[in-house]
Amino acid sequence: MSGATNKRPFDAGHAAYLALNILLLVFLLAPIAIVLIFALNPTPFISFPPVGVSLRWFEKFFASDEFMNALWLSLWVASVVLALSVLIGGACALALVRGCLPGRTFLTAFFMSPLMLPAILTGLALFQAYLLVGIGRPVWGLILAHTLVAVPYVIRTTLAVLHNFDRRIEEAAAVLGASPARVFFEVTLPLIRPGVFAGGVFAFIVSFDQFPVSLFLVVPKGETLPVVLFNYMKFDLDGAIAAASMVSILLALSVVLVLERLIGLKAYVKL
Amino acid sequence: MSTWARPSPIAWLVAPAALLFVLFFILPFGVMAAMSLFSGNPANNPNAFLTTRHYERFLFDTAGIYHDALWSTMRIGLITTIVALLIGYPLAHWMARMQSRLGHALVLMAVIAPMLTGIVVRTFAWMTILQDKGVINTLLIQWGLTDKPLPLMYNEFGTVVALVHIYVPFMVLTLTGVIGRIDERLEQAARSLGAGRLRAFVEVTLPLSLPGILAGSLLVFALSISAYVTPSLMGGTNVLTLPMLIAQQVGTSFNPNFAGALGVILLLVSLVIVVAYNRILARLSGEQGMA
Repeated sequence: MSGATNKRPFDAGHAAYLALNILLLVFLLAPIAIVLIFALNPTPFISFPPVGVSLRWFEKFFASDEFMNALWLSLWVASVVLALSVLIGGACALALVRGCLPGRTFLTAFFMSPLMLPAILTGLALFQAYLLVGIGRPVWGLILAHTLVAVPYVIRTTLAVLHNFDRRIEEAAAVLGASPARVFFEVTLPLIRPGVFAGGVFAFIVSFDQFPVSLFLVVPKGETLPVVLFNYMKFDLDGAIAAASMVSILLALSVVLVLERLIGLKAYVKL
Repeated sequence: MSTWARPSPIAWLVAPAALLFVLFFILPFGVMAAMSLFSGNPANNPNAFLTTRHYERFLFDTAGIYHDALWSTMRIGLITTIVALLIGYPLAHWMARMQSRLGHALVLMAVIAPMLTGIVVRTFAWMTILQDKGVINTLLIQWGLTDKPLPLMYNEFGTVVALVHIYVPFMVLTLTGVIGRIDERLEQAARSLGAGRLRAFVEVTLPLSLPGILAGSLLVFALSISAYVTPSLMGGTNVLTLPMLIAQQVGTSFNPNFAGALGVILLLVSLVIVVAYNRILARLSGEQGMA
């Protein structure tokens, strides 16, 4: 399977392996490319093949108050969720590994459980709770709901880094005379930062693209972008959706690229 | 761990997460379970009484729709998981064994890119591909392969295709981590002892990656049985899953109590699956630890 053990000039098995994987990559990426084509295609309805290039759908998207309000709300919610979940999740992972808590395995599974349980149920349960308490559907309720489903990602990526952590580095620092606080801030924190940030990227995206948790928690005229797009798509399937999709793809991608500059992409695979 | 017998002060860092989870996770699920046993909202309706009628409505299911919804939810989830595994494994293996750093980064980007495009956007993409006037049907008709558009959408087929595309990156990332940790020299040793490449893979790498297969499948199954957007847009009126039923009860029927009962049922189903898979996973990692 690996190139190193395979020195023959042509290898049908290996070629088939490569062809299969490239085909699978096409399956993954083609739909996104097609969205771009439709975003630039000027016909009033989604039709194939495209007849030209225009920016009319992007104009429609950016001129629409409904889409713009939703976009800003989504960005604002996702940013707050990123900050909250990095703090809460990072601290939690540290406590789980270093706090010598009783029932650590159970606690870890417990904090992961929002990922295991249907997200639509988390939204439904919070909807019921807000209904019972009678607080309506405030934005902070939505933010905390998103934080709840984003925190497990931060915990998971931070735990992965902490498990690979060579504690002898900390011991060395301590032996050399660093105080526990200094060891924490100058050794531990910089070493776990990639894990925490990788989790933060997931947290942002989980919130920005969140639909099931938001579904029951948004109010009319206070809907996040995915909810607005969903409602629009039920009646209209025009290029505005494609343009909105491209904008949200580019936004999410730029967040990833910024964080990739900061931490390196390798941190993602250490799930 | 053994150096400290009691929780260290660092343990207090768990407090914010614990508070969040108690107030916004445990209590709401408790509320949902309680609401499912009331006839109305007990907070503003003094006539609301305790009842099991919402569960009876599901259980006795005179029209047969609720049982069908539960069954199609499970069926769609299972098919999606199997297909995602078949697609995800080769990609994960390729990525984990790739020598070139640039190649690895590019494939990783390609796998993550769909994850960055929310479920609504990706479902939209598949609608433009699979609908009657979509990309595939247009091309098939143009090439004269078919006279009328194939029914690729508004059925379970379209739902599964879009769900697989949406959840396969979770499978790939889970598997890549596990396959990457398998020592490549084990496979090389098997080959130098005379095993073919396929045999070395089937007898060495594949069994060692079993925990990843189970973990990835668990994740994809849990995600796809709770999907709402994709079945409701890709399935149209021909597919009805449990999450769609729940949304109907909240949105159009405004019966949050029956929605709560349906929620409890979906919750129990997911819990059974999660616990079962976790047990298998724990046993596997236990065996590996002993070996």
